[in-house]
Amino acid sequence: MTPDLSAAAPIQRPSLFERHYFLLRRLHSLTGIVPIGVFLIAHLTTNSAVAWGRFGLRGEFPDMGVRDGGVAYFWREVLWINQQVPHLILIEVVLWLSIAYHSVLGVYFAAQGRCNAHQYRYQDNWRYTLQRVSGYVGILFIFYHVATLRWGWTWLVPGGASWDHQRSASTLAAALRGGENFTAAGLAVSLFYFIGVSLLVFHFVNGLWTAAITWGITVSAGAQRQWGYICAALGTGLMLAAWASVIGFATLSPAQAARVEDTARGQPFKVGM
Amino acid sequence: MATHLNATPPPDAAPPSRGPATPGRTVNFKVRRCDGPGKPGRWETFAVTVERGSNVISCLQQIAANPVTVEGTRTTPVVWDSGCLEEVCGACTMVINGKVRQSCSCLIDNYAPGEGDTITLEPMQKFPVVRDLWVDRSRMFSALRRLKTWVPIDGTYSQGAGPKETPDDQEIRYKLSECMTCGCCVDACPQFLLEPDPARWETSFVGAHAVSLARLFNEHPTGRTLAPHRLEVLSGHGGINDCGNAQNCVKVCPKHIPLTESIGQIGRAVTVHQIKKIFFARPDPHAAAKGPG
Repeated sequence: MTPDLSAAAPIQRPSLFERHYFLLRRLHSLTGIVPIGVFLIAHLTTNSAVAWGRFGLRGEFPDMGVRDGGVAYFWREVLWINQQVPHLILIEVVLWLSIAYHSVLGVYFAAQGRCNAHQYRYQDNWRYTLQRVSGYVGILFIFYHVATLRWGWTWLVPGGASWDHQRSASTLAAALRGGENFTAAGLAVSLFYFIGVSLLVFHFVNGLWTAAITWGITVSAGAQRQWGYICAALGTGLMLAAWASVIGFATLSPAQAARVEDTARGQPFKVGM
Repeated sequence: MATHLNATPPPDAAPPSRGPATPGRTVNFKVRRCDGPGKPGRWETFAVTVERGSNVISCLQQIAANPVTVEGTRTTPVVWDSGCLEEVCGACTMVINGKVRQSCSCLIDNYAPGEGDTITLEPMQKFPVVRDLWVDRSRMFSALRRLKTWVPIDGTYSQGAGPKETPDDQEIRYKLSECMTCGCCVDACPQFLLEPDPARWETSFVGAHAVSLARLFNEHPTGRTLAPHRLEVLSGHGGINDCGNAQNCVKVCPKHIPLTESIGQIGRAVTVHQIKKIFFARPDPHAAAKGPG
């Protein structure tokens, strides 16, 4: 007697997503560190130059104070990136694709969980929740940031300032403040920058901590704790750089920044700094 | 060998600020009731006279003997599951005052030291409710079958003595072997969600207990013959990558099993397994598992 096979479920080949699940997950982890995390470090180092740049000037513009010197240093660094870094557009496209990939899969993965930090109030569990919140807010912030300052969506900028790398400091200050002086919308933009960039710094260093467990680098509880201290130290440094950048440019007068840019432009320009 | 005293008060127990608990006091039990799968839930409160050393199970027995609520309404006895009554079987796991734990080892003197104190009892949140505080934990055992967390010794002839063990390995694995599949780790896990449909368990997160037991048997000299299969399953959807590192599992584990270390260890093993797969020819463990025999 032949068994009745009509009720047997048809054998289904797993979907592309299921077959490459491991690769997709680990690529999500990797893109968060390289290139996105590495870029974040470089980006915050450049932007925080508005606070510390005066001390990196190596004797040029000796008459400038801390504020103007920082603007001059930042202005020259941005010019160097935009005029001297080779195949910049390739770097940018790789970065945008990585951010898009990390965002799309990140939202999909985050949707698979249900935060319960209100019930299990452990520090690690709060970070789990904040990692997801910072991801969502971070996507909105990066989109606004890149659309307004890189793609030129000036209709989203209060005051309509258009960012120009020849006038990097003054146009950035104007975009944050909503014009020469703070407007209500400008204040909201500055606040959004402050919150957005703070959450992204957290997202990066907390992701660095969990990635070490994911890849199996920190296995013991002691190793996880010690790597946590290192991530916290990196996070503190990056957070200070982030706050120095946002506060530095939000409190900068665009007119004064433009005067510094003109002064700096009149000086001999050294390639490579 | 590290042992854990069951009577250790949990960190979330009420502080003993009102001095030693008085025997013969009345404690209220606010119980989440449910008449069956898919039925609506409701709250009922029972007043129980507690003795020195009373635990949640002994109080539930008193409620079952006289199922009358504080309002004086006669109701059905509260249903719960239990087995060993000494915190080694995991059957009586429930959510007590908002946190998951075994009810047999939950001493009333720690949780409700004062007259009129209230203890809240709810069923586990990540498993389908059978009735009242009784849940169906089949999904946990399904995950163990999926990962083949056992030592393969079936055969037609004696395979002789097993390989030698070092005391150090034994020490690590003894701790892992204390897992009783109670479900605390997954109930507190934000990545492990209620999934009543068994057809979807194949791609649902296996949970910390299964990851740790896979490690236990991957490190067993004979059990490691199934390691490629386990690592293949753990690489896929519902495997180790679905862990979100909230680390609640290790904090609620009643046996203090280093679950997060097992997660890190399996993360490493899966990483190495997948890199090896790129560079070395290996038989597909899934194909072997599905073949005859």
